[in-house]
Amino acid sequence: MLMTALIAGLVLGGTYALVAMGLTLQYGIARIMNLAYGETMITAAFAAFILQSALGLNPIADLLLIVPGGFLLSWAIYALMMRPLVTRSRDRGALEIDSILATFGLLFVIQGVLLVIFGANYMSYSYLNVPVSILGANVAANRLLALVLALAIGVTLYLLMTRTRWGTTIRAVAVAPQSAPLVGIDVNRTARFAFALGGALAAAGGVVISMYQTFTATSGVVFTMKALIVVIMGGVGNLLGALSAGLILGMVETFVATYVDPGLTLAATYGIFLALLLWRPQGLFGKAAR
Amino acid sequence: MLEIEDLNLHYGQHLALDSVSVTIAPGETVVILGANGAGKSSLLKSVARLVPSDAGSQIRLDGRLLAALPAHRIVQEGIALVPEGRGVFGDLTVEENLLLGANPPRARTDEGERRAQVYDLFPKLKERRRQAVNTMSGGEQQMVAIGRALMSNPAYLMLDEPSLGLAPVMVTELFLALDRIRKSGVALLIVEQNVRVSLSIADRGYLIEAGRIVGADTAKALLNDEAVQRAFLGKTDERG
Repeated sequence: MLMTALIAGLVLGGTYALVAMGLTLQYGIARIMNLAYGETMITAAFAAFILQSALGLNPIADLLLIVPGGFLLSWAIYALMMRPLVTRSRDRGALEIDSILATFGLLFVIQGVLLVIFGANYMSYSYLNVPVSILGANVAANRLLALVLALAIGVTLYLLMTRTRWGTTIRAVAVAPQSAPLVGIDVNRTARFAFALGGALAAAGGVVISMYQTFTATSGVVFTMKALIVVIMGGVGNLLGALSAGLILGMVETFVATYVDPGLTLAATYGIFLALLLWRPQGLFGKAAR
Repeated sequence: MLEIEDLNLHYGQHLALDSVSVTIAPGETVVILGANGAGKSSLLKSVARLVPSDAGSQIRLDGRLLAALPAHRIVQEGIALVPEGRGVFGDLTVEENLLLGANPPRARTDEGERRAQVYDLFPKLKERRRQAVNTMSGGEQQMVAIGRALMSNPAYLMLDEPSLGLAPVMVTELFLALDRIRKSGVALLIVEQNVRVSLSIADRGYLIEAGRIVGADTAKALLNDEAVQRAFLGKTDERG
């Protein structure tokens, strides 16, 4: 039972980490607090559902189609909806508030469209639903694949962001946007790219989730909330923070559900969130405000 | 040749620069002297396109107009700015700051060589290359800012109050480094409060007052100029 819970926790945590990395890119670099983030995920989950049931594609092939789709969709959302807000905002604080209001609206638009098309039923599809035995615990193969995918995507992104000049320019915009033009960085272009990349990660997260969980048109909000908690726990804009906080949250939720009571998972989420904020208000890897 | 001609700049109703004209030849070192709020920083920021100058202002580099370019394109043209307050990427390491300095395409060839030159100029940066910049002293951060600017392979290097807030011994070290940069053929445009030290490495200087250029001469003549001495060098016999 311990091994089962451990692996289930890793799977959930890996998914949270992946999803939170996307949100931290959008919030930390583009300075857009995207409340419709979970809807991007759920849209991707439905897309995977359709590709799976109508075309018989497997989720790996889905990723190759849906992740670029998430990138393009978010790119378009930034160019059409966010750019006017960026242009008119006097400072980053104003942009954050404007973007919260705008994406709050977007949340309901996307949710409404999904409800019209798919209704409010729980959806799922069966893929690799065969048990695999690991150290005596039986785990569904789709969950293992979800974990591997989440970690592979997350670690690749982390290495790209920290080990390449390309990634360093993106982090530079998060650190000191006013200095970025001095080294030839186009801040607006970088922000749009980071927002689109965040959307691509949301889409990847949506596909990964759909492999082993049921979902409905209205479950995006929960994911946005969880992702936001992970981002704040890890430290805003910090990819390593998102990765570790995501894993912690997934573990805690699974262990509470397994050993205490499944009804207490949300309470456990907020409990650990509160405890961490009291201990380190800036997040695990965040820098204290100076 | 960097030519600034008839540069006007308004902040709302306030006229910060009033038909300012300044030229710098390749390899030359020019100092802009003036009191706080005289428009020195605004002048450098206008050239870097960080603030939009009024229509009709002309900023030309070797005959090409810079006014039409966005801020992030200026460094690729060969003009690097070390801004007031240094503007380093504080959470990133020294190495990463230098890597970013070489971000413009013009800096990509000889990047390794340039990094070696920067470390040679500031050996302390090499020792601390894996340290986050915001954990370093003001003088060291200034070295990072200058090193980052040099990584872009500039023909013109603009420095906004590089000695501000530094200990006297650091100021001496800083200007020794600037003198070496100057001798390597990079033109310097320096805005400074520290008149004596900056004029000592400069070829020429301009005096700016309330947004207008009120005087220009060789550095040597300015050092001996009575008005300059009265205003900047502490000879306050008239005002007591």
